Amino acid sequence: MAAISEKSAVGAHIAGDHRFRWLPFPPLTAALTARAERWARKRQGTDRRILRLRSGRIYILPTGVGLVFALMTFAMLLGSMNYNNNLSFVLTFLLAGLGFVAMHQCQRNLVDLEVSFAGADPVFAGQTARFRIAITNHSKHHRYNIQLFADAARSDTRDLGPGESRVFQLGIPAHRRGQAALERYGIRTLFPFELFRAWAWLHMDLSSLVYPKPADPAPLPPESQTARGHRQHDARGEEDFAGFRQFHDGDSPRHVAWKAYARSGELLSKQFAGADTSSQWFDFERVNDNDTEARLSILTRWIVDADRTQRDFGLRLPGMEIRPAHGDAHRHRCLEALAMFDEAKCMKAAA
Amino acid sequence: MKKRNGTDGSLLASLPWTLAALTFALLPHLQYLPAWIIVSFLACAGGRWLIERQRRRLPPAWLRVTLALSGFIGVFASYESVSGVGPGSALLAVMAALKLLETRQRRDQFVLLFISIFLVMASLLREQYLWSLPFLIAGTMLTITAWLRMSISTDVSIRDTFRTGGRLILYAAPLTLAMWIFFPRIAAPFWSVPIDSGSASSGLNDRMSPGDISSLSLSEAVAFRVSFRGTAPEPRRRYWRGLVLHRFNGRTWTGNEVTPDLRALESIQVRGDPVGYEVTLEPTQQQWIFALDIPYQWSLEKTFMGPQHQLMRAQPVDRRVEYDAVSYLDYRANVDLPRTARTWWYLDLPDDGSNGRTLELAKRMREVAGSDRAFIDDVLAMFREEEFFYTLEPPALGDNPVDRFLFDTRQGFCEHYASAFGVMMRAAGVPSRIVLGYQGGEMNPVSDYMIVRQSDAHAWTEVWLPEEGWLRIDPTAAVAPERIDAGMSSARFGEAGASWGLRAPAQWLYRLGLTWDAVNAKWNGWILGYGPENQTRFMEWLGMDQPSWRKMVLALLATVLALIGGLSFLLMRRYRPPRKDEAARLYRQFVRKVAIRPRDGETPREYAARIAARNAASARDADAIADRYLAARYGPPDAGSLEALRHAVRDFRATRAW
Repeated sequence: MAAISEKSAVGAHIAGDHRFRWLPFPPLTAALTARAERWARKRQGTDRRILRLRSGRIYILPTGVGLVFALMTFAMLLGSMNYNNNLSFVLTFLLAGLGFVAMHQCQRNLVDLEVSFAGADPVFAGQTARFRIAITNHSKHHRYNIQLFADAARSDTRDLGPGESRVFQLGIPAHRRGQAALERYGIRTLFPFELFRAWAWLHMDLSSLVYPKPADPAPLPPESQTARGHRQHDARGEEDFAGFRQFHDGDSPRHVAWKAYARSGELLSKQFAGADTSSQWFDFERVNDNDTEARLSILTRWIVDADRTQRDFGLRLPGMEIRPAHGDAHRHRCLEALAMFDEAKCMKAAA
Repeated sequence: MKKRNGTDGSLLASLPWTLAALTFALLPHLQYLPAWIIVSFLACAGGRWLIERQRRRLPPAWLRVTLALSGFIGVFASYESVSGVGPGSALLAVMAALKLLETRQRRDQFVLLFISIFLVMASLLREQYLWSLPFLIAGTMLTITAWLRMSISTDVSIRDTFRTGGRLILYAAPLTLAMWIFFPRIAAPFWSVPIDSGSASSGLNDRMSPGDISSLSLSEAVAFRVSFRGTAPEPRRRYWRGLVLHRFNGRTWTGNEVTPDLRALESIQVRGDPVGYEVTLEPTQQQWIFALDIPYQWSLEKTFMGPQHQLMRAQPVDRRVEYDAVSYLDYRANVDLPRTARTWWYLDLPDDGSNGRTLELAKRMREVAGSDRAFIDDVLAMFREEEFFYTLEPPALGDNPVDRFLFDTRQGFCEHYASAFGVMMRAAGVPSRIVLGYQGGEMNPVSDYMIVRQSDAHAWTEVWLPEEGWLRIDPTAAVAPERIDAGMSSARFGEAGASWGLRAPAQWLYRLGLTWDAVNAKWNGWILGYGPENQTRFMEWLGMDQPSWRKMVLALLATVLALIGGLSFLLMRRYRPPRKDEAARLYRQFVRKVAIRPRDGETPREYAARIAARNAASARDADAIADRYLAARYGPPDAGSLEALRHAVRDFRATRAW
């Protein structure tokens, strides 16, 4: 798999993680965390894309505020003992009791949540890949303060009502074409008092497709050719309405006769008769640049522009050809081919 | 771009609750704090709220620094110290006010909430009443409400927040109780920091100037409570000895600084039966310890007897203390008082010619009487038979107060009579001194103990006679015998009380007061007084064999662990998804009969189609089950559809070839 992930600098990511900034010796904490994460991975294995959080995989540690709270409670205990003051004993023990309760409440706030991967839309390199993860609360009580995290990324913090399901988004910067991998992400909560942080690590090995970054500026695309020998499979332009025909996969939703669908329940596509039936070939070999990535970038730009103007285009890569067509599915197919383009492999296949 | 000092209204949901928690925690401190602190706190709190509402800017840094400096200097100037509860709570209030001015982020409020907890704690250190427990619970509740408002998202309703907070407190309550009961109490403090309660109003003065104060405030506050081992002595013998004054400058009686005197106890010859009792003394901030005249044994640590048989503690009574004591009501003391002590201490009168008429009168009466005994009786008779009045609001006396009192005003309370009597004795050569303490005490019928109130404070005289030692003479008894026989408290509610111009509250109110006091006494004894002894007793009652701190710690751990286990179980049940309904259960049963498992996210119909693809023979049955399942689970409530599903599942046979 030609996945290009940012696996190399896991430690660096953690060291830069703002979670540890307040600690006296961040490198040590980062090293410990990296170790703990490896251990958790080994212990839990790869997760299914939909799962229930069991209590065994939920970890908990006090936060900075929690440590201050513990210190304060201890100071109050000393004070109560010194003055033998039974009411301040009550206050002290009430706070200590609340601490214990907070710990258990914090952990239970995550147990039995259902986590499932709800997809990630392809993005261009340089954009942020958004992983959608749905969390469902099957219990009859609120779950407060739920947040997803992955290295430096944070989702919104939301509450989940009884039976409620919410989609959280984790934005991972996609630096290079290929696949943005989300090997590990976490779900965490600080509820109720931010004294404890409970979290679970999930290893669903998620990835999101990253198209090459469209070149800017890019050389002009090759001249379009009028498609003479081509199959006249449907009409291009939108000049003249020519009638309806049965909907086929790949037809643009913009051409669907939605009114007719509402009336009859039959999915029809509008046909247009137009003069423009030209198409273009975008050929990797003929892009005027020596660098593979730059070529892919230029091809991406051409495809994006062609798609925007609703023209037919075909794509030729070493060892691979996609015939001219149009539509979202076609665009995706071409861009995916560019994203996953592996020169060495293609050359071998071509040979 | 965001303004650096600007506010964005993000604190609107939590700030009011933080302010409420702080204000509530400050309430018990109000009467002790200087007014400027309260005013500045309220100004900062109100100002901060307005700033947040109107999205204004926070005050600039230089202003905050200036305010902080002046605040701390102000506290130091007001208290001249920074240790102790008084300055401590003042500092906390100032810190809260200043922190409010720089609270920009949600999480800055943590500091404010910690301050509010410390303020509650400080008020508990200062005073513990019956309402202190509800106060601390309410204070904690408010604080954690603010805490939850701060840490959960803003669209949660306040009702939900209250419910969450209440639930968490309820969870914590058994843990609190267990820790409170089993945490081993130790007797001695590690270090001693004075706790000022600021109220010097209770207790007795260590000087007495009759005529300076023209009215005596009748404080209903409890001075101490007494439980007697046997029966209580009759009212006219309930003299609670406190301090002794022997120096008179013509106007004011004062005493010496008291030092321990080991021979004081030896100088007492006791007669009759001892009276044993336990005293619970309210804090006085003074060193005097009160006991029935005359104390013979006492159990309070660091307490000694002075040369004039007064009891004194080495450090002020700054919290409620309990002690056992034994007294003898019949005694002789200092029968062989040295001549020098008599002349130098107990016969000394100022020779500046003040109170001249009194001295003359005393000398004349002594000559007429012939003996000291007869002279004493004559003076008492004079008080009794001539026009002397007992009043709590006597006129002021000015110079020569004793002369003015004896010859002009003739109105006064115990101090006036004791002082005049003492001066007359000395003038006639009879050694005398003034004793301050309490006289009387009221039995609480609700729960068998005696209440002695501040209004029972009393002054009487002791005279020294050869062969007899010190004799207690109470001249007030000659003027107002009912004051002595029935006691101050009951006198107020009788006819005599009405004649003194005191309003008599309705009898039931009086009973209610006694009941309230009894509850308070129990509260003090069991909750506030849950010290090493009470704890040991309670542990034995619980069945612990020879309680020790080790055993208590073990019991503490065991109980807390068990409770946490219970809590964990409770929370587990709380968040467990509800039982799948019957339809889902039946469907699972069906799935178990089929050789292929449903995929993630596969609908029942898709699943049925997959079954049909694998095994055409089951197609119809699988379809039927899918339909019935969907009808039973998602259709309108109908017992029939569930029954149909049950039949279909039961009749489904997976025996056909797969």
